[in-house]
Amino acid sequence: MKAHFLKSAIFASAVLLSACSTVPTTTATLDEARADYVAASNNPQVAQYAPLEFRQASEALDRANQAAAKRESLDTIDRLAYVAKQRVATAQEVAKAKTAEADIADASRQRDRVQLEARTAEADRAKREAAAANAQVAAAQQQAQDAQAQAAAAQQQAAQLAERSARLEAILVELHAQKTERGMVVTIGDVLFATDRAELNANGMATVRKLAEVMMQNPDRTVLVEGFTDSTGSSSHNKDLSERRAQSVAQALSSLGVPRERVAMRGYGEAYPVASNDTASNRQLNRRVEIVLSNEGASIPPRAAAR
Amino acid sequence: MNKQSMNLLLRVGAAAAVLGLAACASPEKTPATAAVAVSHNAVDNAVSAGAPELAPEEITAARSKMMQANQALAAKDYKRARELAVQAQADAKLAQAKANSAKATAASNALNEDLRVLRQEVDRANSDQQ
Repeated sequence: MKAHFLKSAIFASAVLLSACSTVPTTTATLDEARADYVAASNNPQVAQYAPLEFRQASEALDRANQAAAKRESLDTIDRLAYVAKQRVATAQEVAKAKTAEADIADASRQRDRVQLEARTAEADRAKREAAAANAQVAAAQQQAQDAQAQAAAAQQQAAQLAERSARLEAILVELHAQKTERGMVVTIGDVLFATDRAELNANGMATVRKLAEVMMQNPDRTVLVEGFTDSTGSSSHNKDLSERRAQSVAQALSSLGVPRERVAMRGYGEAYPVASNDTASNRQLNRRVEIVLSNEGASIPPRAAAR
Repeated sequence: MNKQSMNLLLRVGAAAAVLGLAACASPEKTPATAAVAVSHNAVDNAVSAGAPELAPEEITAARSKMMQANQALAAKDYKRARELAVQAQADAKLAQAKANSAKATAASNALNEDLRVLRQEVDRANSDQQ
C-alpha cells in the first residue's frame, strides 16, 4: 500500500514536471510568426508558387519554436521568431508575384485572342463589303449591258424606220407623188384606164400595186381615192364614171391586201378640174383619179369648196 | 633587389602571418564574415529590384542591420554579427520579394485594363457593324 502510494506520487510529480517543461515560453513576435505561418499554409498559391520559400520559413519557425521549448532567452526567441516572420512574409510575397505573373501570361493570351477575333471580324467585314461592292459592279455592268442592248435595238428600229421611209420616198418619187397640205397625192391619169371605162389597164394596175406596197409598209396611213372627169358628157354620167373609177382603184387596193377601212373613195364628176376643158390634152388631164395618202397617223381633211 | 623592396616584402609577410593567426584564433569569425557578405549581396539584389521605392520599410531595416552587423564584425563580436546578418538577409529578401510582387501586380493590372479597353473597342466595332 505504501509502496503503491509512493509510486503514484512519483508518477504525479513526473507528470507535473514534464508539463512544466513543455509549457512553451512565447513572445508576441513568435505568436505573430505562428499566425502568419498558419495563414500562409492556408494559401494555396503559396504551396503552388513558393514551396522553397515556405520550407525556409517553416525551418526558421521550427528553430524559433525549439528555442522557446528550450526556454532560451526571450531575446533569442524574438530574434529567431522575427526571421521566421520575415520569411513567411517573403513566401507570401513570392507567391503573390508569381500569381501576378501567371495572370499576366493569361491576360496576354486573352489579349492575343481578342485581337485575333477583332482582326477576323474586320476581315469578314471587309469580305462582306467587297462582295457587296462586287455585286454592285455586276449590277452596274448588267445595267450598262441592258442599256447597250436597248440602244442597239433603238438603233436598229431607227435604221428600219429610215429604210422604210427611204423606200416610201423612192416609191412616191416613182409615182410622181406631190406633197400637199392634205398629204401626198398620187395622180392616176386617164391613160391608165380603158377609154370611158372604169377598168384599170396593166400600167394602172402596176401603179396601184406600188401604192398597195406603200400602204402595207405604213399601217398608220389611210388613203382617200378621188375620181374626176372632164366636162364632156352629162354631169350624171361623169359623176358615175368618176365614182366607178375611184371604186375600181379602191377595189384593186383591197384585192392587194389593203384593209377596206383604210381606203375611202369619192367621185366628183367634172368638179375640181386641173386644167381648162378647151383642148383634148387638157381634157385628158382632167380625167384622172387622185389618191391622197394621209400623213402618218393623221386623217385626211376634206376638199375645200369647188374652185 | 634593393633594401627597400626587401623591407616591403617582409612587412607583407608579417601582415599575412598576423591575419592567418587571427583567423585561426577565432573559429566564429569566418562564418560571420560569410553571413555578412551574403546579406550584403541580398541587400544589393533588393535595391536593384527597386526595393527603395517599392519596399522602403524593409530595405531600411535591412540596411540598418547590415550596418550594425559590420560594426559588430569590427568589434569582433562575431556571434552578434552573424545574428544581425541573418536578420538583415531576411529583411532584404522580403524587400526584394515585395518589390517584385508590386511590379508584377502593377503590370498585371495594367494589362487587364488594356484587355478591358480592347474588349470594349471590339464590342463597339462589332455593334457598329450591325
